[in-house]
Amino acid sequence: MAELTIRQVRKSYGAMEVLHGIDLDIEKGEFMVFVGPSGCGKSTLLRSIAGLEDITSGELRIEGQLMNHVPPSKRGIAMVFQSYALYPHMTVRDNMAFGMKIAGMKKPEIEQRIRHAADILQLGAYLDRHPKALSGGQRQRVAIGRAIVRDPRVFLFDEPLSNLDAALRVATRIEIAKLKQAMPDTTMIYVTHDQVEAMTLADRIVVLKDGYVEQVGAPKELYRCPRNMFVAQFIGSPAMNIIEGRIVHNGGDHVTVEHAAKGTAEIALHMEEEVIGRSVRMGVRPEDLSLADDGPHIFSGTIDHIEHLGEVQLVHLDVGLSNQAVIAKLAGLLDLARGDQIRLRTAATSLHLFDDQGERLNGPAGG
Amino acid sequence: MTMPAPASQAAPANIWSTLARAVLLGFLLCLGILVIYPLLWMALSGFKTNSQIFSAPFDLPTGFSWANYVAAWNQGVRSFLFSSIVVTAASAACTVLISAWTAYGLTRTRMPAKPVITALILGGMMLSPTVALIPLVRMMQSIGLYNTHWALIILYTAFRIPFTTFLIRAYMLELPSDLDEAARMDGASDGQIFWRIMLPLCRPIIVSSVILHILFAWNEYLFAMIFTSDLDVQTLPVGLTSLMAKHGTNYAQVFAAMTISALPIVILFFLMQRYFIRGLTEGIGK
Repeated sequence: MAELTIRQVRKSYGAMEVLHGIDLDIEKGEFMVFVGPSGCGKSTLLRSIAGLEDITSGELRIEGQLMNHVPPSKRGIAMVFQSYALYPHMTVRDNMAFGMKIAGMKKPEIEQRIRHAADILQLGAYLDRHPKALSGGQRQRVAIGRAIVRDPRVFLFDEPLSNLDAALRVATRIEIAKLKQAMPDTTMIYVTHDQVEAMTLADRIVVLKDGYVEQVGAPKELYRCPRNMFVAQFIGSPAMNIIEGRIVHNGGDHVTVEHAAKGTAEIALHMEEEVIGRSVRMGVRPEDLSLADDGPHIFSGTIDHIEHLGEVQLVHLDVGLSNQAVIAKLAGLLDLARGDQIRLRTAATSLHLFDDQGERLNGPAGG
Repeated sequence: MTMPAPASQAAPANIWSTLARAVLLGFLLCLGILVIYPLLWMALSGFKTNSQIFSAPFDLPTGFSWANYVAAWNQGVRSFLFSSIVVTAASAACTVLISAWTAYGLTRTRMPAKPVITALILGGMMLSPTVALIPLVRMMQSIGLYNTHWALIILYTAFRIPFTTFLIRAYMLELPSDLDEAARMDGASDGQIFWRIMLPLCRPIIVSSVILHILFAWNEYLFAMIFTSDLDVQTLPVGLTSLMAKHGTNYAQVFAAMTISALPIVILFFLMQRYFIRGLTEGIGK
């Protein structure tokens, strides 16, 4: 049985529905990440699981027990807020002890749990400090510590790294990954809009858009076999290049697409029905493109802009489309300059094909 | 050779800024004297005799005898001061606690028709005490509270709740909702969230509200005059009037009594000045 089951969960604010019948099963000990753009409903879904928002309809079950009307503190859940939500007038120790005192726990037990959490999070030296005397990263750890001492079945994180600077974000991300390893039986649900956090932390990712689940899967699966164009463009940085085109040849185990950038591409795809002339969208990830010196290529054009990132460079190629450039992630050592004419190629198995509704028709192997 | 030019431009600018600062300082000094001098004059006059007050009103007292202060204290000021302290302290506690709880409800709960309830409570600020006097007198007489400290405590509380709620509500709106949500996750009830999280966080505005209420209740005259008649329940503003009626010619004692009545408020304000200003600027200033 799944640790957490969500069935047809809907959430409305007045006449406006923000979650449109979410179905989800989260296994015990799983690290699940909700990801999506602003306003997609990921935080609302997390808050509904926490009990901070009432579910309008549908069912939320934890270990089989219906939780729709159970108060937040009785759900066996702990939450780390985006703002940390530390009580500013209390010391770190009191912040951690607050929930246990409310629950009427004995003092030695409270102290023992605080010590244990402080050891895990290296907070021992700060227990008598107030939150204002701590750095952002330390506050973040206190917020996690406050959740740990409750010994929850499900751990919720609401964009916990968004208030940290870039360097600290990376360090804390690693700490959260280690924390997960140290608590293998605890289910963790993590909300973020940062796909790097999602890809690096998750066992599985839920991609949400406008209150609907677009795809659920392992990070690699979402990257290699996105179910639709939204997921394809949301996962991966820079986003996947999508070019309109139409099928001009069906070779049995592959189709040939003539795309809007005045080129053709062979895509590994077996289609039995009559597909010649069908309009499609072809997708290729910037990192799957490479320079084609004299051989076959799918794009040719003039370099419009180059972003140097050190080990790689992002080359923006003008392929003759008025509102779109093709982006290629090429080795940083290549000697390229704005205005250079280049040609790009990719493997037939690295191309993605979507129908005119944006749904995937194929997917590269290995997903 | 371009260096002297900025230097020569800077010199007149410095003169103007120094002059502006001097004018401002002079203005503030005058303002300070204007406010402090009457109080000082009143306190010093308490050390003079009645004839000295009229013959040399602006001279310093010849000696610092506490006789007038002691006499005023024994003439009833002690009782008036006690009444003022009881009425002010009790009404301040009731007003601030009820207002804070109301503000918590208005800002932190999912109460239905919240805007209407907010408008109704804050609308109380528009109610004139004078208009309500006659029904209130009848009401207090019928429930047997007329001429008791309770009459003033209840009235001061009732008439100050709208304004105090307005102040505390504005402050609470600025506090992040994550804090009470975190407390809710920790298993705290509404009462526990209010007492252990919100109230400590609202300390600056609570202190400001207490000071504002004390200023009001300590100096209130209309209700105190109408709802109390016995000397042992009268507060300082009304009591001082009766002192003036009885000892109309002994101004030295009256000034001593007035100084005694003003002193607690002045001391309180200086002690809590920091919180008072912080509370107001953080709350309604944003």
